[in-house]
Amino acid sequence: MSNSVVSVVSRFLEEYRTSTPTRLKVVDAYLLYVLLTGALQFLYCLLVGTFPFNSFLSGFISCVGSFILAVCLRIQINPQNKGEFQSVSPERAFADFLFAHTVLHLVVMNFIG
Amino acid sequence: MAHTSLLRVLLLSLAVGVQALTPSHYLSRSDVARLQTFLGQHFTDLESAYYSVVGLAKLGASVEDQAEACQFLKSQLDPTSVDSLFYAAVASQDLPGCEIPLSNETRDILLAAVSEDSTVAQIHHAVGALTALGLPLASQEVVAALRARINKEENVVAVTLALQTAARLSQQAELSGFVEEIEDLTARLDDLGGLYLQFEEGLEATADFVVAAYALSDHVDVEPPLKEDQVIQLVNSIFSKKSWDSLSEAFSVAGAAVALSSNRFHVPVVVRAQGPATVSHSQPTLQLLVTDVLSQPLASASVLVESANALATKSVILSQTPFTHRDGVFELNFMSSQPASGYYQFTVAVTGDSRLVANQVELKVKVSTEVAITNMDLSIVDKDQSIGTKTTRVEYPSKSKASFMADSHQNFAMAFQLVDVNTGVELTPHQIFVRLHNQKTGQEVVFVAEPDSKNLYKFELDMAERKSEFDSMSGTYSLHLMVGDATLENPILWNVADVVLKFMDDEAPAVILPKALYVPKPEIQHLFREPEKKPPTVVSNTFTALILSPFLLLLILWIKLGANISNFSMSPSAVLFHIGHAAMLGLMYVYWTHLNMFQTLKYLAIIGTLTFLAGNRMLAQKAVKRIAAEQSSRLAKYRSLR
Repeated sequence: MSNSVVSVVSRFLEEYRTSTPTRLKVVDAYLLYVLLTGALQFLYCLLVGTFPFNSFLSGFISCVGSFILAVCLRIQINPQNKGEFQSVSPERAFADFLFAHTVLHLVVMNFIG
Repeated sequence: MAHTSLLRVLLLSLAVGVQALTPSHYLSRSDVARLQTFLGQHFTDLESAYYSVVGLAKLGASVEDQAEACQFLKSQLDPTSVDSLFYAAVASQDLPGCEIPLSNETRDILLAAVSEDSTVAQIHHAVGALTALGLPLASQEVVAALRARINKEENVVAVTLALQTAARLSQQAELSGFVEEIEDLTARLDDLGGLYLQFEEGLEATADFVVAAYALSDHVDVEPPLKEDQVIQLVNSIFSKKSWDSLSEAFSVAGAAVALSSNRFHVPVVVRAQGPATVSHSQPTLQLLVTDVLSQPLASASVLVESANALATKSVILSQTPFTHRDGVFELNFMSSQPASGYYQFTVAVTGDSRLVANQVELKVKVSTEVAITNMDLSIVDKDQSIGTKTTRVEYPSKSKASFMADSHQNFAMAFQLVDVNTGVELTPHQIFVRLHNQKTGQEVVFVAEPDSKNLYKFELDMAERKSEFDSMSGTYSLHLMVGDATLENPILWNVADVVLKFMDDEAPAVILPKALYVPKPEIQHLFREPEKKPPTVVSNTFTALILSPFLLLLILWIKLGANISNFSMSPSAVLFHIGHAAMLGLMYVYWTHLNMFQTLKYLAIIGTLTFLAGNRMLAQKAVKRIAAEQSSRLAKYRSLR
């Protein structure tokens, strides 16, 4: 049982390592970073308290928003999805990503108090 | 089912609730005098002379100088005008020895006016003048002309004038059609609240209608088609106005008053008490005035009490008892039936004439009496009964010579009875108060004394319990007893005794400084939300580090993945793009610490534009490079395949 799980996981990692373009791996690393940051903030909130609530919210929203934007970027620059995004070049996707980030963080900063 | 029974109850209660309608307005003696004065004012033209002379004559009076009035009529007369002839001719009838000169021409003018081409008013004036001058006229022609005109002029005033004209015609003429017109006009009267009935044309039209209706009815000897209630409502609306706007209005009201008091069919009765409707032992007779609307006593009438009920108990005190008539006043010694004090409902019937209208009248009569206070006992009762109670009797109206002392272990008690002076019956008036008045401070405390089942009034002051009502103020209080009621002729305020009250804890009452009321209140400060307790610095620092740690992880991962920074070109657009991006991040921080949204947006627009342009250029170059690389690789692949 555990053996098979280990084998599945190791197989999955192996596949990931070999068949994923470096560019996507970079994005995945970023995703992991954002995820961990958000999780830690949530942990703090659970352990210590929500005060100041708006700061917590803005930090957490920043993580969630960044994560979503990064996922979008990853979908758009994935070569396997090339057929679905004919008109979106990887550069265009990256520019969109940056623009959306600017707007998102303007809101986040406004909310942080 | 339940619905209909409910409706029936409702109808029944309505029927009980509605009282018989009685005239609530009439002309009192002073009103009649004022009306005469108003009509007797100096006249300026023929029309006003007519109103004055004829109006006063109707009321049984006359103008001051009849010869001068006659002279005035003659001088003002225009023998070619029908109206002028009417006013002069009719007025001259009421001035003895006043003859209006008459010529054949005048006669022709008047006769010519009686035609279908004249208005009803002209026909009325012509007929009036002809009859007043004693000239013959063809009644049937007048009837025909009037009928034709009424069909054209359907308004109330015209029809009323036609009725008045018809009353002057021969009884042999066809007048029954005009009697029907009375009924039609009655249907056009407006009902106001069930109390008033009037034409919307105004008081004058209403009064003229009454005059015309009774004149014609008397003339043809047919009872006018008016119900009793309608007659009373007409009386109310005609006599409710006590000041008249014009001579013609006063003339009409005078005419209506005379018509309503001396016609052959309906005479409304006005029954009222002389003075207040109150009887007592000193004034035992109830005096009623029974008059017509002109306040002339109805001498032929006889007045009977059908029943007299006590309002409180509904018990019948008196029934079928006649009033005695003396000097125009009907009297009844009500006290001989020994009523208890209170209010009584009288149902009075006026008989003796079949013409009387509203001859069932309800009156509210008050029987008042005098009260006396007996058996006034004052005592100081010890609460633990250790000392025997000492009782002192006080006689009204003297003040007790003994002074009373009560402290907090004692009760002060008071007992008395109220009796009717005249009958000796015990009374329970509405208002019985015991008042304690502090002689030094002027403070007063009032209690209500209640009777027990034997109508013995008791009042007991528990010194310990009532302390707060006296503010614990010890001192000498004067004790007053107040007795009052609407049916009492002698309300009482009696200073019974002086009482010294001693309260246990003789602490000074809290002195309220009146000045303090007008001092400004403390300013209201806005309270911000209290910040919650912050966690210890160690915890927050740890978490700050923890939250930053994934960034390290990111860097490690990126290095491990071998992100190629070598691809970074040093072209100006790329440099500008990265600087712009960093500037935006910096701006976000400054926004957090210093700026407001508008300033931030302004700077962001500048930096954003530059960054956008630079980024656009850089990414375009990259895209060109990438596409070129892709093409070359495809080319290489193609070549290798070949």
